[in-house]
Amino acid sequence: MQSNEAPSSMEVKAVANGAGSASGTLPPKPSFEPLKAHEMSDGQVQFRKVSVPPHRYTPLKKAWMQIYTPIYEQMKIDIRMNLKGRKVELKTRRDTPDISHLQKCADFVQAFMLGFDIIDAIALLRLDELYVESFEIKDVKTLRGEHLSRAIGRLSGKGGRTKFAIENATKTRIVIADTKIHILGSFANIKVARDSLCNLILGSPAAKVYSKLRAVTARLAERF
Amino acid sequence: MHQNTTPTQLERRGIMAAGSEALNTVKATEPTQWLAPSPELSENARAALKSLFSSLRPFTPKSPFNELLVEEDFDAEQIWQQIDIQSQPLISSLRREVKRYEKNPEEIKTLKVVVEGEEKVLESQNEEKDSEDFDEESDDEEEGDDVEENEDDDEDEEEEEEENVEEEEEGDGEKNEIEDGFFNVKALGKYLKTTEAEEYENESEEGADEDGDEKDEEDEAQELMNLDESEDDGDGKGARYEDFFGKKELSTHKKEISIHDKDLSTHEREQLKLKAEIEQREKTMLDPKTWTMQGEVTAAKRPPNSALEVDLDFEHNVRPAPPITEEVTLAIEDMIRKRIEQDLFDDVQRAPALPTKAPRERKEMDENKSKKGLAEDYEREYVQKMNPDSGPLSSKDEQKHEAEMLFRKLCLKLDALSHFHFTPKPVIEDMSIQDNVPALAMEEIAPVAVSDAAMLAPEEVFSGKGDIKEEAELTQAERKRRRANKKRKFKVTAKKMAKKPRDSNKDIIEAM
Repeated sequence: MQSNEAPSSMEVKAVANGAGSASGTLPPKPSFEPLKAHEMSDGQVQFRKVSVPPHRYTPLKKAWMQIYTPIYEQMKIDIRMNLKGRKVELKTRRDTPDISHLQKCADFVQAFMLGFDIIDAIALLRLDELYVESFEIKDVKTLRGEHLSRAIGRLSGKGGRTKFAIENATKTRIVIADTKIHILGSFANIKVARDSLCNLILGSPAAKVYSKLRAVTARLAERF
Repeated sequence: MHQNTTPTQLERRGIMAAGSEALNTVKATEPTQWLAPSPELSENARAALKSLFSSLRPFTPKSPFNELLVEEDFDAEQIWQQIDIQSQPLISSLRREVKRYEKNPEEIKTLKVVVEGEEKVLESQNEEKDSEDFDEESDDEEEGDDVEENEDDDEDEEEEEEENVEEEEEGDGEKNEIEDGFFNVKALGKYLKTTEAEEYENESEEGADEDGDEKDEEDEAQELMNLDESEDDGDGKGARYEDFFGKKELSTHKKEISIHDKDLSTHEREQLKLKAEIEQREKTMLDPKTWTMQGEVTAAKRPPNSALEVDLDFEHNVRPAPPITEEVTLAIEDMIRKRIEQDLFDDVQRAPALPTKAPRERKEMDENKSKKGLAEDYEREYVQKMNPDSGPLSSKDEQKHEAEMLFRKLCLKLDALSHFHFTPKPVIEDMSIQDNVPALAMEEIAPVAVSDAAMLAPEEVFSGKGDIKEEAELTQAERKRRRANKKRKFKVTAKKMAKKPRDSNKDIIEAM
């Protein structure tokens, strides 16, 4: 009786019995381990460079250690600040486990540059499905002068209330930088937040947006 | 108008003779001569009219004129009006007379000749006038006004004379089987024509009477009587003797008709019966149906109070109310009393509204900046998804938690107030800042309100050294000293601040 046993290890096993194989001339199948990030593209190092806008320079200085520690220790990516070029440079190391880590770190740093807090941007490192979406107010509606200012005011609300309300309801983080708007969160949540923001830009009052938001988030929550 | 003395007999005759001459000359003139106005013709015409007028004067006692005023000054219109005033009542009276003679032909024989001479004169001219009347009628429209009155008077007289003549001839006419003293076919025909003519004159609605052709010969005489009666009613000229007493003759007429039946053959009788039945049926078909047979009838379409007479049958969807008798009322009252004693009222109670599904908890809009980071939010969500038992810590639960904490504190205070044997609850470690509460407060047995334990010693409130002076009490030297101390302290801290960032940056760069 012959029993076919699955190979226990990944090592190459030569078939001992000649009776089992019809064609014994074929060489055994090689098995490779997955490539490390470092070894990709023929062992060359992968780079990412994130430029620092001037208004984020001081906050970067203050929050440097908070950025550095998780990237270097947990993601195993080299990170440095190029003072002359005002860029943050990221590089893979030998023991970087996965190529996606580099991209995640780059996204994390980019999110910080856009204006998000460290604790919010850290979520990009931890969760896969988070994205950052940016759009401008003029993409939604062409506004000029006072109308634009008023629209920005409507978006934030008094003391940022409206913005926080949308953030809490949709589990996203929103950064309103003059005319640019950045949203950080999962895909569906980004969509909801974007719709609410667009409605606010177009002129609907905050209460209306709240009611719609309530309905949508309840529906989203129920789905799970 | 100037008064005329009534002329004497002789004068009258003279006038009559002259008048008849004038009349003859007027008749003799050819129609073409009338086209051109001539004073001769007008004189003759006037004279003729005057004579005619005078001849008719005795028959019109109520006429205001004794003579026709036909002097040259009088206009055609005025002459015509005079004649008209005379002739109108005359015509109506003549008509009445004619009708009377129609009903009672025997009376013609008893007719008195009022003025012999006039009658004779008129009778002799009867036949001559017949042919000429039609000519004169045709000339009417072409001629001037002078002749019209003349001819109208002629016509009226002609009609009267003709009818009188014919009525005299009635009794001499040949008899058919059907005809008797009451019935005359010819008279019937003429009567029908005249009634038709009168209908058009009077403009009265008696259309039903015109189917004289289709009627049975039996019924014709009867209908004659009916027509007469209905005509009179239709005109509305007052009640007549015939209306009240004429009916007696009707009944006699009926009897005569029934006797009359036996003279008919059986076939004829049957035919008549059939015809009567057909008539009857046709009538019912053609007439509008009675209101009971019509479909939907409103109160306006049926005669008043007619619904009471008809036995209507319709469904009652409601049970008829029970008749209230003394027993019934007593029974009800007994029941009421019993119920009051038992306090058993059938009150309507509101049915409890069951919630169809668990009330969905509404998420309140939190307008504060979330203290947790985004990562924690998603972490919480993930955990919730994975372990449903973990229990969602919703805002409602958090509020509940908060409320619980507050209540616990309150209860503690109240318990401390209420009894001396107070055992304090175990302390829950809470990272909250406490100020001004001494350590002894928790272990004190005495009620909190009474004890001084909560009160801090003055040293605990403020521990300061030296002489404490108020702002206003400071001397200038002391103020300067104070400021100098401040500056020194500030310098030290500034230096420290300057040092720190530089050092940290260096470390970072070296680490890379």
